[in-house]
Amino acid sequence: MIVCVAVVGHQNNPLYIQSFTEADDALKLHHIVHCSLDVVDERVNNPKKSGPTLNETFLGLLYPTENYKVYGYLTNTKVKFILVTTDLDVRDADVRNFFRRFHSAYVDAVSNPFHVPGKKITSRTFAERVSTIVKSFGLSSAG
Amino acid sequence: MATMLGQSDPANSPLGLMLLDEITPVVMVLRTPLVEEACLKNGLNLVELLTPFSTFNNIDVPVRTASDQPYRLQKFKLRLFYASDIRQPNLEVAKEQLKEVITHAGEKDFSDLCSDPPQIEDVLSTPESEILPSWFQFFNKELVRSLSFSDHEAFDHPVACLLVVSTKDERPLNRFVDLFNTNQLPFLLNDGVMDPKILKHYLLVHDNQDGSSEKAEKILTEMRSTFGSNDCQLLCINSSQDGLVEHEDNPWAPYKTDASLSQPLGCFLNIDDFNEIKDLMQDFSSKHIIPHMEQKIRVLNQQVSVTRKGFRNQIKNLWWRKGKEDTPDASNGPMYTFSSIESQIRVLGDYAFMLRDYELALSNYRLLSTDYKLDKAWKRCAGVQEMMGLTYFLLDQSRKEAEYCMENAFNTYLKIGSSGQQNATRCGLWWIEMLKTRDQYKEAASVYFRISGEEPLHSAVMLEQASYCYLFSKPPMLHKYGFHLVLSGDHYKKCDQIKHAIRTYRRALSVYKGTMWSYIKDHVHFHIGKWYAFLGMFDVAVPHMLEVLTCGHQSKTTQDLFLREFLQIVQNTGKKFEVLKLQLPAINIPSVKVIFEDNRTYASPAAASVRESMWQSLEEDMIPSLPTIRTNWLESLPKNISKKHKQSNICVTGEAIKVDVEFKNPLQITISISSVSLICELSASSEEMDCDANSSTSELQNDEESGKLTISREQTSNSSFTLSEADFSLGGGERIMVQLTVTPRIEGILKVVGVRWNLSDSVVGFHNFESNLVKKKIAKGRRKAKHSPSDNLKFLVIKSLPKLEGSIHHLPEKVYAGDLRRLVLELRNQSEYPVKNMKMKISSPRFLNVGSWEILNTEFPACLEKKTDPEQRVQANHNKESHTVFLFPEDTLIQGGTPFLWPLWLRAAVPGNIPLYITIYYEMGDISNIMRHRTLRMYHNLQVLSSLDLSFQISPCPSRLKEFLVRMDAVNKTSSEIFQIHQLSSVGHQWKISLLQPVETMLPSELMPGQALSRFFKLENVRKLTTPEDKVSLLAPQEGSDVKLGSEASNEILFDICSSPLADFHICERIHQEGSHQEHPNSVDFILISQPSNDSINTGLPNPPPHLFSHHVCHCRIESTSPIWWLMEGPRTIHHNFSASFCEVKLKMTLYNSSDLSASIFIHTLDSIPSTSQLSEVMAGSPGNQAGWYDTSLLNDIKVTSDVLGMKVGKPPSLDSVSQFIWSGSCSTKVEVEPMSTAVVPLQICVFSPGTYDLSNYALHWNLLSSKDEGSHGKCPGSPYYLTVLQSA
Repeated sequence: MIVCVAVVGHQNNPLYIQSFTEADDALKLHHIVHCSLDVVDERVNNPKKSGPTLNETFLGLLYPTENYKVYGYLTNTKVKFILVTTDLDVRDADVRNFFRRFHSAYVDAVSNPFHVPGKKITSRTFAERVSTIVKSFGLSSAG
Repeated sequence: MATMLGQSDPANSPLGLMLLDEITPVVMVLRTPLVEEACLKNGLNLVELLTPFSTFNNIDVPVRTASDQPYRLQKFKLRLFYASDIRQPNLEVAKEQLKEVITHAGEKDFSDLCSDPPQIEDVLSTPESEILPSWFQFFNKELVRSLSFSDHEAFDHPVACLLVVSTKDERPLNRFVDLFNTNQLPFLLNDGVMDPKILKHYLLVHDNQDGSSEKAEKILTEMRSTFGSNDCQLLCINSSQDGLVEHEDNPWAPYKTDASLSQPLGCFLNIDDFNEIKDLMQDFSSKHIIPHMEQKIRVLNQQVSVTRKGFRNQIKNLWWRKGKEDTPDASNGPMYTFSSIESQIRVLGDYAFMLRDYELALSNYRLLSTDYKLDKAWKRCAGVQEMMGLTYFLLDQSRKEAEYCMENAFNTYLKIGSSGQQNATRCGLWWIEMLKTRDQYKEAASVYFRISGEEPLHSAVMLEQASYCYLFSKPPMLHKYGFHLVLSGDHYKKCDQIKHAIRTYRRALSVYKGTMWSYIKDHVHFHIGKWYAFLGMFDVAVPHMLEVLTCGHQSKTTQDLFLREFLQIVQNTGKKFEVLKLQLPAINIPSVKVIFEDNRTYASPAAASVRESMWQSLEEDMIPSLPTIRTNWLESLPKNISKKHKQSNICVTGEAIKVDVEFKNPLQITISISSVSLICELSASSEEMDCDANSSTSELQNDEESGKLTISREQTSNSSFTLSEADFSLGGGERIMVQLTVTPRIEGILKVVGVRWNLSDSVVGFHNFESNLVKKKIAKGRRKAKHSPSDNLKFLVIKSLPKLEGSIHHLPEKVYAGDLRRLVLELRNQSEYPVKNMKMKISSPRFLNVGSWEILNTEFPACLEKKTDPEQRVQANHNKESHTVFLFPEDTLIQGGTPFLWPLWLRAAVPGNIPLYITIYYEMGDISNIMRHRTLRMYHNLQVLSSLDLSFQISPCPSRLKEFLVRMDAVNKTSSEIFQIHQLSSVGHQWKISLLQPVETMLPSELMPGQALSRFFKLENVRKLTTPEDKVSLLAPQEGSDVKLGSEASNEILFDICSSPLADFHICERIHQEGSHQEHPNSVDFILISQPSNDSINTGLPNPPPHLFSHHVCHCRIESTSPIWWLMEGPRTIHHNFSASFCEVKLKMTLYNSSDLSASIFIHTLDSIPSTSQLSEVMAGSPGNQAGWYDTSLLNDIKVTSDVLGMKVGKPPSLDSVSQFIWSGSCSTKVEVEPMSTAVVPLQICVFSPGTYDLSNYALHWNLLSSKDEGSHGKCPGSPYYLTVLQSA
């Protein structure tokens, strides 16, 4: 199950962070997302040598914490998407697919002329879309 | 060995030094109590006494181990332990010790924690050693030491035994034997873990205070003969008799940690003793220990070579071990005694390691690790791998191999469960040091994380160390640094190490400061605050709690918790906390608005919020332009008002300055705010001059300072002004606009500094209005934009003045369009001084008009009724002043609070939200004041709802010249109001309106909501040719004609549309409705007057004052655009005998020129047949229908007219048929018609056969004879005229 998704701006400022758990663990998830930014930076600064990853936006598994797996994605505008999941066996393809859909939702949200770049994303439509994507992720990985 | 030298020598790395310190030969010390006694005179026990001399930095001993190549050993160290201490430390005791260490460190580090946490940039630039708490090293060392003397490792096993007996002992030789034979020997020797045949060294200690050493010499000789001459030595101590020896660089000091020294260390040891001890230890190491170890290495190596080296031995070993397959899979594996080959290899390896023959050590460890693995002796296996890792590291050969070994060992330790945890920790610490040496901080951090374990205190320290690793990694991983600090802080908190918790959190703060991660930030600040409060440091706690107050993003319960905690802490400080820029509630600074009254006064707050430019344009021609006024009164000012004040705002003593401040609650919970008031300074005018200089110097430099400064000022000068206080509570997310006032009591300079409030009665918040922020708003609202910022909130207070207060009685907020009613303006002046020369101007005369004084006492609407006697009529304000300024009568004086009343007329002209601006100018009766005049500005907003939708349609009467049919359509657009239509009037003397039908036959005149109504009227043009003089007065409706529409007899009266106010309003309406129409002489204005029905469905107002509705529709025009009206006259039906001759019909056309210019008209008859010719033939077939073309209804008439016209345009004339009639006589006639006059033109047609003919195939070309007007000509097609010609018998 996806427990948290986040959008982090290029100055590592949180733009959108949403947890999908019942428990009151927002703080923990904030910390996990915040922490994973270091790994994102590291991945970006030391890219793997292999050729096709040159323009790869998907950063893969950032780090496994005790109970979570954290995946990252970096857009061309250096906006980071972070996914925290409790699933232990996640297929990369699923995550890639998730991020692709999430990215398009994000692009739509920031294309709104009333959105101020660099400010938090407050669009309700975006939130709804994200929760749909998150739900469908749970289904596809379960099935 | 070459590898031991050089800069990047691993031996010089922290780990190398640590290993050189920790993995060294152990010497077991056995002594008699008397020896101890002698030593304790110096404040030291025997081991302490000897320890400083058992570390050698330059021992320079040649060593030859297994290989034949000798090498020299420089650094060497012996570890001395009493036999009783050679055992595994108690875990619980060790833990307690560690806890003590941490607590102690916490106290020590806490002193500097009250300062601000450092910036993250500073943290990054500080060297490692300064950031890392020094006690980490100590803690780690203690942790490693807690694992000493384990049975699976050999480096802690004593290499030699030092037996010490005092000369004072009885039978010292026997004592030596007894010492070693007691049961007190450590378990290592007794359990068979190590060889009990250990190198022994006998030492006789002589205390020189007990007499000469002669006896000692004797015993020594005896010893030598018994134990061997090499192994016995004599040590004489305490040679100093007085005990006052001071040692420079006291060698014992670093080893003795507890500072509670009653006497200086080694006070009885003089330089001879000192040297003797030194020599003793040097000798012991180089002549006994090292050779002994060399010897042992060689022996063991020989043994190992014999049993294990070579192909044959390996096969044998493998086979032999396979045979032991059935051994129990215990975590420790099988028990290995000292005589087993495995133990011997281990000893060999460890000895080689300690003598730094790492190659030899490594080969043996390797050999051993496979054996242990096969035996499944995991703990031993891990121990060996650990050593392999260290050996690889010190050899600096294969980094990968070293790390692999460490990881392997670490994992193996973890695998064996809880018993291996401690070992895993030690292994981890060594591994970490290894990684740190190679700058692999990130990896080191993850190892720290892995060894953090279960126990909170332990994991707290480990996590904190991990966090520093992230900080030191290149590039620094600050996010993880912060996170691990927070984790560590939580663990510290769990084991009540609050001070450490605060320390780590504060460090973490430097990471989160300035970021947007508010949840994390709030958490950190809140906990720091809470913990400080827990420690009783409330003053330090408050700033942190302040940080979390504006946590709008948090949940409601969290907000509640934060606020409660904050208030509690503040209460605990025991004083009213004063906080500058308290964030709760938030103040919307751009919304701050200052309203003050100088010579502009306002009747209501709404009036004050109207744009200044609006008022200015209104007052433009009423008061002399402001600059001149200003200079006027400034010129008359005494000189002492400096030029500086010319620009500052002026306010009047006793009149309040209002400041609107918007407070917003950023939280979801309710907060209570009390005692909200302004912070002001007022310097009296007497001291004004000197104050000027002062105030400019004491400008608000420092926020903090000024906050305090103002309070004191306010308290001292409290009597000079009064402040209003407001209390309110703000619900979640609520905004509230609060108006605060300051009323100066004396003349001088008043300065509004800021605002203060109490939050929940315990915190005082301040906010200074930074002038540049307020400036914007002020500049926008006021006329002075070029002020220096500080002047905006600075006021020159002048002495009190009369001030008019005004209000309008009975002004409704909501009316229906057309509503006409009388209002009363009331003016009051509370002051004793009169005001005079009053003028008034109203922004929209269309809606509001000034009445005349007399009607104040008459009854409404009776005063509007048409009087029979023209003398009594109230003359309309024909003068143009109704648009400009109304002058009150010269003798009007208002003073002393007596109300002054004046009537006003209100007429809601059009629907919408209508702002009404009224400004009243007045002058002071008392000329002595510097301000001569003031204006009172009143503003009201009127909501006008649409009521009747009225339209008129005028069409020429087909049968009569100069008469028109008027159709009035009225729709009641309201939802509840019933209108009783009373009268319709046409305005102007040239029109006369009358009913088409008698009143009795008409429908009821009540118009229900939503109902539509149509009425028809006849309108007659009674216009005469006017002289130019008359034309001027055309605008004013002098005359009019009225039609009464009310069906009831009670409504006998007619209202006079020609007198004020109806006439005045009508003029306005005319002007407004003019629009794009140009003034046309043939337009007519109508006024429909209706009354609210008595049984109107009540709109909510209980008893509305009497009112009328008047609807004005102006510039109604006749549909034809031509100024020429004509009428064809002639017979309609003719009998004629066509067999005799064709028929000639004489017709007559009457032309009327309705314009003011004479017209030339050209009648052109066409012989082409209009499209109706076909129709006429059809009609001819039914000659009986003679009366078929008469109109039946007027409504149809209008329609037909238009239809016929349309048909003519639409259908092209058919040219193929021949006309049945021809125009005879002249085919074109031209006539000149004078203005407003008629002309008659005879026409004639010839008809050749019977039938019905449409004689519309002619056109009128008209041309107004005017030189300038180019649009005054046109063409009119003929109107239908049907003629039926019948064959006569």
